[in-house]
Amino acid sequence: MKLNIDGLLVYFPYDYIYPEQYSYMLELKRTLDAKGHGVLEMPSGTGKTISLLSLIVAYQRAFPLEVTKLIYCSRTVPEIEKVVEELRKLMQFYTKETGETNNFLALALSSRKNLCIHPEILHANIVVYSYHYLLDPKIADLVSKELAKKSVVVFDEAHNIDNVCIDSMSVNITRRTLDRCQTNVETLHNTIQQIKETDAAKLKEEYRRLVEGLKEANVARETDVYLANPVLPDEILKEAVPGTIRTAEHFVGFLRRFMEYLKSRLRVQHVVQESAPQFLKDIYEKVCIDRKPLRFCAERLQSLLRTLEITDIADFSAVTLISNFATLVSTYSQGFTIIIEPFEDRTPTIANPVLHFSCMDPSIAIKPVFQRFQSVIITSGTLSPLDIYPRMLDFRPVTMASFTMTLARTCLCPLIVGRGNDQVALSSKFETREDFAVIRNYGNLLLEMSAIVPDGIVAFFTSYVYMENIVASWYEQGILENIQRNKLIFIETPDAAETSMALEKYQEACENGRGAILLSVARGKVSEGIDFVHHFGRAVVMFGVPYVYTQSRILKARLEYLRDHFQIRENDFLTFDAMRHAAQCVGRAIRGKTDYGLMVFADKRYARADKRGKLPRWIQEHLSEGSLNLTVDECVHMAKHFLRQMAQPFRQEDQLGLSLLTLEQLQSEEMLQKITQMAHQS
Amino acid sequence: MDEEPERAKRWEGGYERTWEVLKEDESGSLKATVEEILFQSKRKRWEVFLFTSLGLGTMRHLFVVVDCSRSMDDQDLKPNRLTSTLKLLEKFVEEYFDQNPISQVGIITTKNKRAEKLTELAGNPSKHVSALRKAVDTVCLGEPSLYNALSLAVSTLKHMPGHTSREVLVVMSSLTTCDPNNIYELIKTLKELRVRVSVIGLSAEVRVCTVLTRETGGSYHVILDEGHFRELLQIHVKPPPSTSASDCSLIRMGFPQHIMVNVNERDAKPSFSMAHLDAVVGSGLSLGGYFCPQCSAKYTELPVECKVCGLTLVSAPHLARSFHHLFPLESFTERPLEGHPGHRSVRFCEACEGELRDKTVFECPSCSGVFCVDCDLFIHDTLHCCPLCIHRNSAT
Repeated sequence: MKLNIDGLLVYFPYDYIYPEQYSYMLELKRTLDAKGHGVLEMPSGTGKTISLLSLIVAYQRAFPLEVTKLIYCSRTVPEIEKVVEELRKLMQFYTKETGETNNFLALALSSRKNLCIHPEILHANIVVYSYHYLLDPKIADLVSKELAKKSVVVFDEAHNIDNVCIDSMSVNITRRTLDRCQTNVETLHNTIQQIKETDAAKLKEEYRRLVEGLKEANVARETDVYLANPVLPDEILKEAVPGTIRTAEHFVGFLRRFMEYLKSRLRVQHVVQESAPQFLKDIYEKVCIDRKPLRFCAERLQSLLRTLEITDIADFSAVTLISNFATLVSTYSQGFTIIIEPFEDRTPTIANPVLHFSCMDPSIAIKPVFQRFQSVIITSGTLSPLDIYPRMLDFRPVTMASFTMTLARTCLCPLIVGRGNDQVALSSKFETREDFAVIRNYGNLLLEMSAIVPDGIVAFFTSYVYMENIVASWYEQGILENIQRNKLIFIETPDAAETSMALEKYQEACENGRGAILLSVARGKVSEGIDFVHHFGRAVVMFGVPYVYTQSRILKARLEYLRDHFQIRENDFLTFDAMRHAAQCVGRAIRGKTDYGLMVFADKRYARADKRGKLPRWIQEHLSEGSLNLTVDECVHMAKHFLRQMAQPFRQEDQLGLSLLTLEQLQSEEMLQKITQMAHQS
Repeated sequence: MDEEPERAKRWEGGYERTWEVLKEDESGSLKATVEEILFQSKRKRWEVFLFTSLGLGTMRHLFVVVDCSRSMDDQDLKPNRLTSTLKLLEKFVEEYFDQNPISQVGIITTKNKRAEKLTELAGNPSKHVSALRKAVDTVCLGEPSLYNALSLAVSTLKHMPGHTSREVLVVMSSLTTCDPNNIYELIKTLKELRVRVSVIGLSAEVRVCTVLTRETGGSYHVILDEGHFRELLQIHVKPPPSTSASDCSLIRMGFPQHIMVNVNERDAKPSFSMAHLDAVVGSGLSLGGYFCPQCSAKYTELPVECKVCGLTLVSAPHLARSFHHLFPLESFTERPLEGHPGHRSVRFCEACEGELRDKTVFECPSCSGVFCVDCDLFIHDTLHCCPLCIHRNSAT
């Protein structure tokens, strides 16, 4: 159908539209008009992708000079494929409606096997790829630096974007890395020797270029041709490469020295935590390496690799990592911390020294993106509370909105179970973690649910360790055996192959009526990327609040940084982080309006306003006062009632006019009013 | 819904959250309550039913599969699921034979991963009813096997002639099924054999049942409470529309007369009814009865298939009773009460003479009589003829 969104003609490839899609497009249009950034939350399964695509494509057609390109970033390869599929549908609709063959070029970068390097891709109107292509400085430099300024960047499923940013800027160095680096340096050394014999002029030419400095890059940045690379700070562009590392041999020697220093640092017996300036001071005192050559390290290595015409870059990942580390540590005095741990916490006897150079400020990686592109849209099904993202990523959005799902029937049923039948408070908090009564009551909850929920149940635990303890205890108490009488049990493990096998069998059991339970872990593979549509997930049980492991030093450093620089209190961040993961987990069950599912939060702490208030609005809305502190029995009774109601016939006509609109219905005065009310400005 | 009087004692019921019922009305049109949707689907069901039902299968072969697994012990139906189900099925069997006098029913139970026949496919209601009464004492254990139950039903149904309907009605309490083979293969076979499988679920929607019923063209419903359960069974009392694919054939039927023999007559000899030969209880020795016009075998009850020569024996009233399935009463047109043409006085239903309070009324297309929803349902459900039409016909 053809829609009129605030004066813009939008082709929408479906005959029906959800009201929230309409208001989503309105908000989006407003953001584009203002040439600003936006944060939009809309539940999964309400057609976010197609709303985004059809509006932005329409906008591009209407104002070709305002918006030249759409860059759509998603998380995983299957998600990228889904976007491409929707895009194809949209293009077909355009061809059908307008009669002209479209001249839109869209490009998807998924994996290396599909990669195309044809220059024409630079002119593509739509680019779909993974976050890393834009955020990870190593890849972004290769792929994204030539993207035009007047682009619209969309980060879909962006609830974890801060972690992606941090990961892309953090460096972990182990003994193994250093060993591989050693070999790399040797190879470099040998290659240099060879070239010196055969083609000394080449090295000279490089030397000359380095004297001139990185002028080209500087000019490019000032004229704003390229996307800025956070690994390449502004100042160094204006200077020449320092003399100490200008010749190839000297540089290799420099790398060796740096490596030896790192090796000596790894020979520690106790945990060391220091800031970047401390590290620089130490390195100057010990091996006389100055700050300045360190800053040029990454760029110098790139130049050398280019000169030596080394094709297999992947082999040199170790030395690239080290040189990136050198540049980062000497460039940013804030936002990073260095932690050297001689062993892992869990295995204190095995020496496994790691140097964590960890980024604590997600805004560093994403800053160039916000600065360069005129509109950046951050969207996901779970972004609540909305205001924390702009704070963490340090940008100022022009629109922030959260949309709910309009439903013809209440198809989600969030329940908070706070007590067992014996009135024992249920909680996964540290003190009651080993409590026999709590574990038994958790087992009882799962047992009762397994008897009344059809087909698939997904249960999430807070961590692998916790899951192992509980399952072992259930086994001893005979609860597991009773559950198995109702359903088969599958378990997610850290091993990817094992997990995908378990998943496959789980789905098979749901399909043929045997019924199954999948025990998995919040923050694991299952909780993030796998959808449990319809019968694959009729209920999700969340055992405990999935707080991140708070004893980790990296996390502590990050919390401290957040408090000092962003005024986000430790507890606020921890709760926010736990709740977004909990929301992700329970959101797995509802993937659309015809779907239905139970969401059981089994921890009494969920009932508290500070936790509850951080759930997405579309879940909170259905959480009534009466279902905040249920016992297992009450929960089972409500679940039973809900499942029976949901099993009643439900057809498209029942949705029409309420949660699904035709064009005429959409245009009616009354509906338009309702829609404008719906967008919740926060 | 008014099954209020039959409510169990207050304390026997589960937790009732009465305050929530009130809440739902408050939020206005956005949240249509499930009841509303239910009412609409009730109307729809009738309409779909009546439009497609130009020819209803009058000879039916139906297997009722009763789940007797562990979950039937659940006490959400009183006193428990099994007892309640069996009691409703008794009523169902009676009504079934009332509406489909020349059809047959068989009962299969499944528990402990096995399936067995409680009664064979037969046309004698009392036999089934007594079997159902006996089954109340069954111990419910293990898991049901949908696969075994269906293949047991198919093994009999596939020999039934093509002009009759082949149906299975599963009353499923458990949420799992324990199958020896891939059930999707069996569903394919069922589809090829044109066996229509319908399921009534007692707890929740199970995926495999959804697929099963969708593929074989049956219906799938899940009960809300006992009253709803009864309604759902009621749907299956009506014969399903006969599929155009089923072949037509001429069948021979016998219409035996009931012959009364006076004990005082000289040649009065008591004889055995053929139907009771294999029955253990009751001698079956009697004087009079129905004698097959072809082979003179004696039966005490009709309808029956002659054990000797295979002739279908029915009585004329039986046929007459299934007659209305062939020419069903036309469905009434739904109109808004306001603006009904010319009838300012139309404020009362022509059948029950109650005041018309709903927004819509139903009008008979041939006599333009106006009826309320309840009467509309009653007329189509039970009477099968419009009272006003008959009244006018007899008046002229």
